[in-house]
Amino acid sequence: MFESLLNALPVALQFESLISLFVGTLIGILIGALPGLNPVMAIALMLPLTYGFDPIIALGLVAGIYNGSMYGGSIPAILLNIPGTPAAIATTFDGYPMTRKGEGGLALKTACWSSAIGGIVSALALMTLAPMLAKVTLAFGPAEYFWVAVFGLVSIALLVGKDASKGMLCALLGVIIGLVGVDTISGAERFTFDTLYLVGGFELLVVLIGLYAVPPVLEMAEKRNESYFNAESFRVSPGGGALGLLRRHWRTWSRSSLIGVAVGILPGAGGNLAALLSYNEAKRKSSEPESFGTGNPVGIAAAESGNSADNAAAMIPSLTLGIPGNLIAALVLGALMIHGLQPGPQLFTRAPDVVFGFMWQMLLTAMLLLLLGGMVATRLFAQVLRMPSALLVPTTLVLMAVGVYTVNGNVMDLYVMLGFGLLGYLLNRLGFPLAPVVLGVLLGPMAEQNYRLTMLIAQNDWTVLFTRPISLGIVALLAAVLLSQLWKTLRQRVRSAAHSQQR
Amino acid sequence: MNYRDLFSGIAFLIIGASTVWMGKDFFADAAYVPIGAGALMGAFSLPLIWRGVKSILAARAMTDSTKASNTEAHRTQAHAVPALVDHPARFATTLGCCLVYYAAMPIVGFYTTSALFISLLAVLLGERRPAVVAGITLGFITLLYALFAVVLKRPLPVEFFLAS
Repeated sequence: MFESLLNALPVALQFESLISLFVGTLIGILIGALPGLNPVMAIALMLPLTYGFDPIIALGLVAGIYNGSMYGGSIPAILLNIPGTPAAIATTFDGYPMTRKGEGGLALKTACWSSAIGGIVSALALMTLAPMLAKVTLAFGPAEYFWVAVFGLVSIALLVGKDASKGMLCALLGVIIGLVGVDTISGAERFTFDTLYLVGGFELLVVLIGLYAVPPVLEMAEKRNESYFNAESFRVSPGGGALGLLRRHWRTWSRSSLIGVAVGILPGAGGNLAALLSYNEAKRKSSEPESFGTGNPVGIAAAESGNSADNAAAMIPSLTLGIPGNLIAALVLGALMIHGLQPGPQLFTRAPDVVFGFMWQMLLTAMLLLLLGGMVATRLFAQVLRMPSALLVPTTLVLMAVGVYTVNGNVMDLYVMLGFGLLGYLLNRLGFPLAPVVLGVLLGPMAEQNYRLTMLIAQNDWTVLFTRPISLGIVALLAAVLLSQLWKTLRQRVRSAAHSQQR
Repeated sequence: MNYRDLFSGIAFLIIGASTVWMGKDFFADAAYVPIGAGALMGAFSLPLIWRGVKSILAARAMTDSTKASNTEAHRTQAHAVPALVDHPARFATTLGCCLVYYAAMPIVGFYTTSALFISLLAVLLGERRPAVVAGITLGFITLLYALFAVVLKRPLPVEFFLAS
């Protein structure tokens, strides 16, 4: 295997391949940075154009767009609180507060390096552990997916924000929003109120942009000429350098990259889950968890390395077993088939140069991010904040409108986005965290579908949820998170009681 | 006095109860999660309502003691609750402009409406330099056109003067 891997390196380093990596990464950063455009759409649009090219050039473009967009999504997340892609939700938690503090340059640099490191670790996992890790995915059934979703939902609801009951209420609100539409298992309509628009449910991006991007724009409009961003102290080339970042974040990068790889190999669990779990874990391990959400660069490092580490790892089941783990992996399989290659285990023997060449391309594009991400994003996109806030408000609103409109071509989505924006504004002002709402919309349907599938398979025997070893492991982890939260709350109460007695 | 926890708790309780009430009529196992989520929401809203009631009672007690001592400092402390909207006029202006923008977009066309929206809202929010407003609006709309119409060919509402 390693001989084939080495033989494929010169193929990936061909001039045409390098050009495709460069162009793909640039397109990816741009696509990711524009809300409403996503890598799936870009790759789907571009694949027919690559029909006449060599497969390695087509795959080079795919690799570039995929890795580039994951980093690109962090740019508006950091600068404007608009997650460019759903995987960038967790990046907004600390990225945007850093921008408001005048540390936008450092935030972008941290995101760029973290994305690159996550991408590199993921590509290395794809190169070295692919066949072994592919077997792990086969051990995950609906019961395990159900617990993964519940774990993500409960742990984020408890750990993001200061009030656990408010976090849980928001997560449940998200779950209820996610229930709207046609039930995929029974085909029954739920909470549609006989409205055609609601039959398809709420579009994730519409909810996401509404909840996350509209409230800060409204706040910006209210503050108008007052200094909303600390643009004076915004440093385009922040000091510290790569070594400083490495020293500060190597633990977070290692932990989050491993989480990203683990989540990536599970079909259906996307980069957003990887980023949120990584963020959660970084906060739990931190000596100052209260600084998360107020502009702690460790939060960005965790989220970005987590979501980028998902990229190449998501290709593991598709390349080794022919089972696409996400839409992009399905498109990669499509690209291979367009070029006459049949996905599956035999692919490694029939077209080793293409498969291993693609693995190298995933690694090379992750490295290219350091060059292109730093150059394009930090130097160009960061200039957005120099715009007067009275102009930044309407331009951001237009950007959101075009992003939301292009999803379905439906003006109704714009009103829905504004409605969710007002809900987000209100929840923000009342001290409710927004992250659990989005996570509820994302993970609620995943948990429900897998729970019902489990019950169907086990003929309503619920003990199956607790008897499988992997399920049991996840339940134990969930119990540990709940107990540690309970312990923290009790300790805080005892301390505050002692403090008030002293006074 | 801060009624926010109490009112938000009651709002969540109502949402939870309505979800359970509507969910019970859903087909077979499609009802499990709506009923479960609604019931849990109702349960988690109770501590919030309880906390809200406690804080109101505490604030009342404090107001009574303020009346007794009648000091200005106590009075300020008892009523210091940040506003829900910092600047209602600007907030309403932005929302109103957005609604008009969304309503006009399918009729007037995306690029024309967007250009007018940016210029108008910028002026209403206090930008008084015509050259800056015109320059940024034109540059931004050109960039959007180049990307969405020329490169990506994404369909956006057609301009009224181009519609046949």
